[in-house]
Amino acid sequence: MSADQKVLSVKDLKTYIYVNNRCNKALDGVSFDVYRGKTLCVVGESGCGKSITASSITQLLPKLSRIESGEIVYHSERGNIRIDQLERNGPEMRALRGAEISMIFQDPMTALNPVYRIGSQISEGLQYHSKNTLAQLKQTSIDLLRQMGIPLAEQRVDDYPHQFSGGMRQRAMIAMAMSCKPKILIADEPTTALDVTIQAQIFELIDELKQRHNTAVILITHDMGVVAELADHVAVMYMGNIVEQGTVDDVLRHPAHPYTEALLKSIPILGKGKQQQITPIQGSTPDPYQRPKGCQFEPRCPYATERCQTFPDSQSISATHDALCWHSEKVLSHA
Amino acid sequence: MFVYFTRRLLYLIPMLLGISFLIYLGLELTPGDILSYLLPPEAIADLKPEELIAMREALGLNDPFIVRYLYWLGGILQGDFGYSLASGVPISKLVLERIPATLELSIAALLFSTLFGVILGSISALKRGSLMDNSLTVFGMIGVSIPEFIFGLIALVVFALQLEWLPVGKRLMPGYDSYWDHMPHLVMPAMVLGLIMTAGVMRYTRSSMLDSLNKEFIRTARSKGVPEWRVNFIHGLRVALIPVVVLIGFRLPMLIGGTVIIEQVFQWPGIGDLFVNAVRGQNYPLVMMISFLSVTAVLFASFLIDLLTALLDPRIKLE
Repeated sequence: MSADQKVLSVKDLKTYIYVNNRCNKALDGVSFDVYRGKTLCVVGESGCGKSITASSITQLLPKLSRIESGEIVYHSERGNIRIDQLERNGPEMRALRGAEISMIFQDPMTALNPVYRIGSQISEGLQYHSKNTLAQLKQTSIDLLRQMGIPLAEQRVDDYPHQFSGGMRQRAMIAMAMSCKPKILIADEPTTALDVTIQAQIFELIDELKQRHNTAVILITHDMGVVAELADHVAVMYMGNIVEQGTVDDVLRHPAHPYTEALLKSIPILGKGKQQQITPIQGSTPDPYQRPKGCQFEPRCPYATERCQTFPDSQSISATHDALCWHSEKVLSHA
Repeated sequence: MFVYFTRRLLYLIPMLLGISFLIYLGLELTPGDILSYLLPPEAIADLKPEELIAMREALGLNDPFIVRYLYWLGGILQGDFGYSLASGVPISKLVLERIPATLELSIAALLFSTLFGVILGSISALKRGSLMDNSLTVFGMIGVSIPEFIFGLIALVVFALQLEWLPVGKRLMPGYDSYWDHMPHLVMPAMVLGLIMTAGVMRYTRSSMLDSLNKEFIRTARSKGVPEWRVNFIHGLRVALIPVVVLIGFRLPMLIGGTVIIEQVFQWPGIGDLFVNAVRGQNYPLVMMISFLSVTAVLFASFLIDLLTALLDPRIKLE
């Protein structure tokens, strides 16, 4: 993995959310890299910081939250850009959004403006990031819709979002995100609001676009099946930390963190029949305002020892594989 | 959509008929008959009972209720709105005389409140929690909760009596007749009415805009990298305006019906003033006619609101 293929590197990112005079350390030191033409899947349960990671990269954070420290570096063709140092809605940040880094959201119904036509919403970003006439913009919208596999794109381009089905709306969202041929596509649980039958189509579409345009994809999901199918790299998050990351093979076949191991054991596998053993993760996620002192997973962890009272250092398993656990060797051999 | 609105427009006819019937029924239920308003009591005392009966017969007052109603309705349809009991002047002439004054005041207040209400409401929502927002909220609460006549009287005391900047009331001074001459008279009633109406529009715009700014499509718009003004106004305000248009639409009947209280406080010779005087003088034909016109205005306004919301919100399906 040579460094020139890196498009985004995040180092020790800390994003805190302030609510009711309390501070939720939503991201507490997150580091990862994203490579050109590769898919990074970020998995973890609700509230672990997946979405905050995504919105930190585009600085689309909630109002009362802030990037406290760390680096987000975008390796553009013009050189490196420190995203964390840009003004939140300032001109430099806006020049990146949509054009270089774009996003797809969870629910395409609420993410599209109900009062504007699909076509104008798709080309809105393009209108600001390039010089085009209105006729060109409309033609681009039609072409994009057609590429997304929407039949009769010439007619559908003038429809309103409520005239589209759920799957078509998400395709329109993807068309919108791809309109400026971004280098990075962040998809924040893009199929959670969709029918199971549509999910596979949407993922296929994202994967096809990634290959065609050599786009880096950050896919946030909690579907392990999707991870196995699409991911090149996987980052497992728990309570604001990436507890384990590596290639798909590393993480799914040789989990080195007890949380990853527990997560994999808790998923039923199709075809194994009704007799298969599904082990739920013991206990529940701690209150973000009353966190465990050391390792965040310690209270629920079967491997926990005295040592886990201190926050673990990142343990390198291989060149591509890291885990945030004192006992990663033990977990590895157990699996 | 065209079919829907044609049908909607045709539905107005039975509604108007029903309302005209109710208004006429209301008159029927009031005590006394027209003769007792037409003739001074001394004249009635001097008349013989046969003469009274003959007069009633001649005026058609002995006809069955439904016949008299149809006769009245037929008159309206032919443009004959009847006569004022107080002066004998045709009602249509009285109303037409007052319409310009009412329109002038209502249009000024409506434009002022719509423009400033929407602008201030958006600022309030965008700068939520700021000093600006808090002061506007205080102003809004005052405007919504204090009755308009108190505002009017305070304005009269301050600007007309103490500072003597503006005339006390009426629409025109004797001897002045050009259009611009009565502008000073318009300022105070229009401002008082306009400010009070602004408060309502502002509060409404603020909450509607806060709601739409919290929607996910706002984040989508930001994620495209478009400028903030576009995110806030083209996306946020555009969606927030739909309910505000309804609120403003419901104020449109004011254009015809006038505003009773403000017109009284400032002795503004509009329809509202005419209406109050008609009620005081038990001038029933006039009261009936103004009520009927106001109701017609309300019905047309609600039709217009439907049309506008359908134009503003593509999700509304009309079949």
